[in-house]
Amino acid sequence: MAEDSLGDPACGGMDGRQDPVLSSGGFNFPEYELPELNTHAFHVAAFGELWRGRLRGEGDLSLKEPPAPALPGAGGVSDSGSEDAAVARDLGCSLETAAELRAVCGLDKLKCLQEGEDPEVIPENTDLVTLGVRKRLLKHREETLTIDRPCRQETFAYEMESHAIGKKPENSADMIEEGELILSVNIFYPVIFHKHKEHKPYQTMLVLGSQKLTELRDSICCVSDLQIGGEFSNTPDQAPENISKDLYKSAFFYFEGTFYNDKRYPECRDLSRTIIEWSESHDRGYGKFHTAKMEDFTFNDLYIKVGFPYLYCHQGDCEHVVVITDIRLVHHDDCLDKTLYPLLIKKHWLWTRKCFVCKMFTARWVTNNDSFAPQDPCFFCDVCFRMLHYDAEGNKLGEFLAYPYVDPGTFN
Amino acid sequence: MGSSAGLKDDCEALLSRFQEMDSVRFEDFTELWRSMKFGTIFCGRMRNLEKNTFTKEALTSAWRYFLPPYTFQIRVGALYLLYGLYNTQLCQPKQKIRVALKDWDEILKFQQDLINAQHFDAAYIFRRLRLDRAFHFTAMPKLLSYRMKKKMQRTEITEEFKDPNDRVMKLITSDVLEEMMNVHDHYQRMKHVISADKSNPEKSLNLIKDDFFDNIKNIVLEHQQWHKDRKNPPLKLKVKGGEEKIERNSQQSERCERAESLAKIKSKAFSVVVQASKSRRHRQVKVDFSDSESSQVQTKTTRKRRNKETLKPAGRKVSSRDRGDMQNLHKEDKSLSLSMPVVTEEDEENESFSETEFTAPKRRRKQRTKS
Repeated sequence: MAEDSLGDPACGGMDGRQDPVLSSGGFNFPEYELPELNTHAFHVAAFGELWRGRLRGEGDLSLKEPPAPALPGAGGVSDSGSEDAAVARDLGCSLETAAELRAVCGLDKLKCLQEGEDPEVIPENTDLVTLGVRKRLLKHREETLTIDRPCRQETFAYEMESHAIGKKPENSADMIEEGELILSVNIFYPVIFHKHKEHKPYQTMLVLGSQKLTELRDSICCVSDLQIGGEFSNTPDQAPENISKDLYKSAFFYFEGTFYNDKRYPECRDLSRTIIEWSESHDRGYGKFHTAKMEDFTFNDLYIKVGFPYLYCHQGDCEHVVVITDIRLVHHDDCLDKTLYPLLIKKHWLWTRKCFVCKMFTARWVTNNDSFAPQDPCFFCDVCFRMLHYDAEGNKLGEFLAYPYVDPGTFN
Repeated sequence: MGSSAGLKDDCEALLSRFQEMDSVRFEDFTELWRSMKFGTIFCGRMRNLEKNTFTKEALTSAWRYFLPPYTFQIRVGALYLLYGLYNTQLCQPKQKIRVALKDWDEILKFQQDLINAQHFDAAYIFRRLRLDRAFHFTAMPKLLSYRMKKKMQRTEITEEFKDPNDRVMKLITSDVLEEMMNVHDHYQRMKHVISADKSNPEKSLNLIKDDFFDNIKNIVLEHQQWHKDRKNPPLKLKVKGGEEKIERNSQQSERCERAESLAKIKSKAFSVVVQASKSRRHRQVKVDFSDSESSQVQTKTTRKRRNKETLKPAGRKVSSRDRGDMQNLHKEDKSLSLSMPVVTEEDEENESFSETEFTAPKRRRKQRTKS
């Protein structure tokens, strides 16, 4: 698999300096290639194995609930006794020391609030800088806000982040295995608005190492998949049957010099061929590109750089930048249901365009050259559209062109 | 970034007080912890999302001090701090501590050192954290999303917590000294053996100074002592001085002084405010020195109202630079400037908005009505 892809078009002046010498302890040890930006390329499964090798047999990988520590004083004597024995064995100290340790290092030693003190109230005479800042903020909120509650975007973001935490599957066959890798992938929206100059909106998905690339492809919701081609001013009731998702099924992922094409259906074409031919036609300075089938590869089989932008292309020209931000071992507090992955945990909230008439419902139609509309193009919800443009019998009034419109905020 | 700067200050305050205690016992740490009421750092009616982000940040800040090149005592203090933060956090389920693969071996070695040195409480704490599965085992210490900021923020290493960079000691370690001693003795013995007179070696074989080895040993010991002396008085002074950064390594003091003088000049420039005319009295610019960030924000809001005061254009040009400089005030001069389109994470934006929440809503509202 070609890793020396010197040219990622997004990279511009940055040349990807491959420096395998940097990686200590083997090639698959993630190390920074560009400091604080991305790592060099490594094999995902091999990286997973490096971790598992170090943690095997220690109980770190287990997905069962960890045993709670015996509290000093409380609990059966036998519990603390066996725990002390374990401590003595691990640390090489005596049993008395172990018992003493349990008392000295207990959680009660960290208690800073007295009984009955509210954990939400900031104590009065505090030296902590963080608390000073927070106090000022709270005071300001009290003074300026009538009702102090989280706005719905914040609630939405929090829900997305935590809705699947700790979920266990009903069917135990769907349980994630110990030592499974979870990759967190940022998929950026393809639109380029000026207002997104500084912060490009993206969605974050968690995907398992053992899942195929096609599973991620299927779970990416992009509004361009739902576009309906065609002009429907004469036949507004004809429910559009073919959305673009069904018509144009080709897609590819680009990782480290290889294009992974979706070839599950006979209609799927190799979209990457154009790029490969272009690259090979002249000496453009890119290494050799390879192609492969998306459905044959899982994330564990890939060589990738963490933090480096890659590409997902579908519908022929709808391109999304894809960045793998993190890879880690699964933890017992994560969502343990395989069927819920790829899991969406972060989504940019997009304001939907409302109907021009009622300003309440999301627009479903867009018209051009419309004699009834004050602007071109103009957006309408279904009801207002029909009321304005058609009479009671359903005859078309006036001249206009109407197209079904799918708002990018549909997925909110 | 309000909360992260505050966190850094609080962690460093705790760790430097722990360092002064000159102990690595958990009991001493908990005394400090309780006296500073550090566990209350999570108080204050944080909403859920904010709680999560703040806790993650707190754990990341504390984690930095746990890895080399910090001194042994600071690393033990950081371990205790992590234990404290992990157990007093209010998030449910608990936020975890991220460990990268490249750091794990170092940490295990540290644990082994603790056990060998019989610091059982520290070893017990680490074992406890591991048993509670407080760690996330990851590829890299933080999430990487190819953010291309114009000025990369380099995390600076607090110099007082480091062992001073001692090239001499790295060259002449105790192993090397022992080796040298052995070789020297062997050499002397050989000379005795091959000379005719067994008690006195031949004069012609005197090619080196006999006390060569002793000299080196003395010089090295003197050097070590000098280092210790250099380190200790500065610490005492810092305690008394508090805010004053009197003693640091010479390099950093120069940089800091220069940065500080720059900041002084800038703040002097901004403190001079043009008096508004009578018709514009209600829009007089007020400079608030209590919070340097808010003073910049204030000048920005007045700018947006298209004030004709002469300070404004200068303010606008300098404020963005000033912001960057303020950020670099205590950081190293090296900055990676990159010329790519800016792609930053959404969280950053939300956090920075919440920090300047005082005036940000007003600012945003103003923008909308104008456009």
